[in-house]
Amino acid sequence: MNRTTDWRQIFGLREAGVYYALLILLALLAAIAHSRGLPNYLSAQNLGNIAYQASLVGIMGVAMTVMLITGAFDLSVASVAALAAAVLVGLAPGIGFPLAAVAAITTAIGVGIVNGVIVQFVGINAFIVTLGTLTAVRGLVLVLTDGRSLMVEQPHVLQQMLAFESTRVPLFWPLLAIAVALLVLAVVRKHALPVVGGVVIGALALLAGPAFAVAAPVVYLALFTAIVWAVLRFTVVGRRVYAVGGNAEAARLSGINVHAYKLGAFVLSSAAAGFAGVLFGCRLGAINPTALQGAELTVIAAAILGGTSLLGGAGSVLKTVVGALLLFTLTNGFNVLNLGASYQGLIEGIVVIAAAAIYTVGGKRKATAR
Amino acid sequence: MVAPLLSLAGVEKVWPNGTIALRGVDLTVQAGRVHGLLGANGAGKSTLIKILAGAIPPSGGSVSWQGEPVRWSNPRAARAAGVATIYQHIPLVPTLSVAENMLLEQRGGWRHDRSGRTRAAEVAQALGDPFDLDAIVGDLPIGTRQMVAIAQGLMSDPALLIMDEPTASLAGHEREQVYATIRRLAGEGRAVLFVSHFLDEIVALTDEVTVLRDGRAVLHEQTADLDEAAIAAAIAGRSVAALERAKTARAIGAPVLDVRDLALRGVLAPTSFVVSAGEIVGIAGMLGAGRSELLHAIFGADPAVEGMVALNGDVVGRSPEDAVAAGIALVPEDRAAQGFVPGMTISENLALPRTGILISHEREDPAARAAIDRLAIKASGPDALVSELSGGNAQKVVIAKWLTPETRVLLLDEPTAGIDIGARTDILRLIRTLADEGLAVLLVSSEFEELIAVADRILVMRDGAVVAQVDPAAIDEAGLIQLASGTTAETGMAA
Repeated sequence: MNRTTDWRQIFGLREAGVYYALLILLALLAAIAHSRGLPNYLSAQNLGNIAYQASLVGIMGVAMTVMLITGAFDLSVASVAALAAAVLVGLAPGIGFPLAAVAAITTAIGVGIVNGVIVQFVGINAFIVTLGTLTAVRGLVLVLTDGRSLMVEQPHVLQQMLAFESTRVPLFWPLLAIAVALLVLAVVRKHALPVVGGVVIGALALLAGPAFAVAAPVVYLALFTAIVWAVLRFTVVGRRVYAVGGNAEAARLSGINVHAYKLGAFVLSSAAAGFAGVLFGCRLGAINPTALQGAELTVIAAAILGGTSLLGGAGSVLKTVVGALLLFTLTNGFNVLNLGASYQGLIEGIVVIAAAAIYTVGGKRKATAR
Repeated sequence: MVAPLLSLAGVEKVWPNGTIALRGVDLTVQAGRVHGLLGANGAGKSTLIKILAGAIPPSGGSVSWQGEPVRWSNPRAARAAGVATIYQHIPLVPTLSVAENMLLEQRGGWRHDRSGRTRAAEVAQALGDPFDLDAIVGDLPIGTRQMVAIAQGLMSDPALLIMDEPTASLAGHEREQVYATIRRLAGEGRAVLFVSHFLDEIVALTDEVTVLRDGRAVLHEQTADLDEAAIAAAIAGRSVAALERAKTARAIGAPVLDVRDLALRGVLAPTSFVVSAGEIVGIAGMLGAGRSELLHAIFGADPAVEGMVALNGDVVGRSPEDAVAAGIALVPEDRAAQGFVPGMTISENLALPRTGILISHEREDPAARAAIDRLAIKASGPDALVSELSGGNAQKVVIAKWLTPETRVLLLDEPTAGIDIGARTDILRLIRTLADEGLAVLLVSSEFEELIAVADRILVMRDGAVVAQVDPAAIDEAGLIQLASGTTAETGMAA
């Protein structure tokens, strides 16, 4: 007997809705661009741009998804990212880029441990704790920068930072290789789902052409997402993450160290925020104390668009990344097509609520249908 | 003779899903009398109380109030008629003051109403001022909260006060406070319907007693004509379980689990015992006797517990991870809240305690399928969500989670609670089979007939301490009920 694949479920609105939404939005924007005689909206360069713009939020969103799966919440990510960027920009001239980056991420992890320990061992609600660290860490950034913008002025350090962030990575051959690998996997494991992934990735690579390249953060996002996805999907650790969020008491009484998993989620979330902060610092070689303000809400919105439940126990990092792409496609579309930036926030908010409504109503219908 | 305050004739209740809760109950409550209502779990006490409180309508029979037939459609109607109900889990708002809790039912616009407050002060005074009206309910000890709940019930000046196990969670002196209040209320001419499973307080406090069993009133007598043994016999009745006690003595191996001086302040008195391989030790006791707490203490689930647990001579660390690693498994009482992860499949739930790095469907799916076959779990397959299963089948999944070669000791907390008779028999048979295979089993159950049927020895708990150890072959259900609920437990049969 083989594990059956329920295609209707996999391609149903609830499971795949966010993919459809992204495709429909892209098609819509492409049609508008075409009708207005603008250059092709779906060019490889523009799509690469959207991915680049979404990369920081995507990286934080992937970690936030793990956080939400364990049933907790982290509002402090954007402040932590800004702190990491400030540490990086502040230290890089003195100790060089690599050490400064390590220091920045270590600082971020420190905040994560503080968050996690307070939530898990003092027992204060994660929303309140991270609301506090959101404000406090932003304050720390102000203290560290003395309220001014910091800048890296040494050319060779700046060079290293720019290289880390802005190198363009050719993706044509790697994408083709991934597509082939997925198809081979599908044949070997007699599993149909990888075929879909393989065909989509292969087709995208061929459409984009051999010259296709993206900025490094997109590759970082892809690697991070792939690793987290694989851990959640294929390892016992992943299953336990879902179990801790799905029913913490049952997990604890099954011999799972719930504290370690919840604390680990805070550390992962802050580490990802730290890495995003490093990328942000590198992008400009500078940091302004209000940088990334409000980005935590975009991060959470991306996870919600991807169907992650705020109640814990469910969520997918792939869909969170698609959710982030969706949000940044909206932003990008409004800018490129000059659609009136004043409507942007309104529409984004409505999209998030509509997505949550689809997931909630779809979920209820699923439950009552039985 | 005056018409009784409340009389029920042939009251029936059939739930929409076909479960019959009440099969025709006759009950008469007189003004100025304390009426005790008893019955085992599932006998229909709660259903009857809900009907009297107007929370659910009866399916058949008639209810007469002060001689007039009535049919209350909602709790407000029952309260308006003069019936106040105090539920077991005190429904007070912990963040509001005592006075505000007492005035919760009041209608009208203003929060601080002088006449309402005056009324609250009167009621408090009638109760002997056991609390400060302005104290926040959440800060009060549980016994005082119970008094607040009683005061809240008295605000509408009821003729009948229904109390569902008001003393279940109270300490000795707090119980006395409640008893004194009940006597005073009866002295004022009110009727009290007092639900309890403590036989001694029923005998001491009530004027008459009605016992429910399987949805019928099987005993109605003046308390003066009864003793604890007669009440216990009426509660137990004939055995309904299809299980018979194994005739042959079962083979019991070497000691496996050694529990020494396990204690938790205010909850569990220092407890020591040994369980051998292949032995089923039953733990009997009433609600709140500390049975679940004992199992959790052995499992290391409560970090505040003191004492030692050893398995085959090796001391086990005090955390669930250590317990699982050593081979101790716990099937918790509340399976939905503690036993399984609802959004996961049977296969995933079964694999929860598994360690290692990669998930292996090649190993887990056959294991799940084997468990489904072995325990006769009714499910579409290993990929069925546990939340879609019936209670009995979900419970089988929770037990199956621990059926691994590593498990040495199985702690079962009410494994048959809320489960239909077929699944219950399956589970009890499985417990016996597992013990025959060499597992040491600790079984907590409120169904004493189950303990008598499957256990090799029974520990009786009362108020957080093991007060007796009995041989199931030498005791019947009524004797066990008496031992678990009577003050006679400390003397008499203790071994």
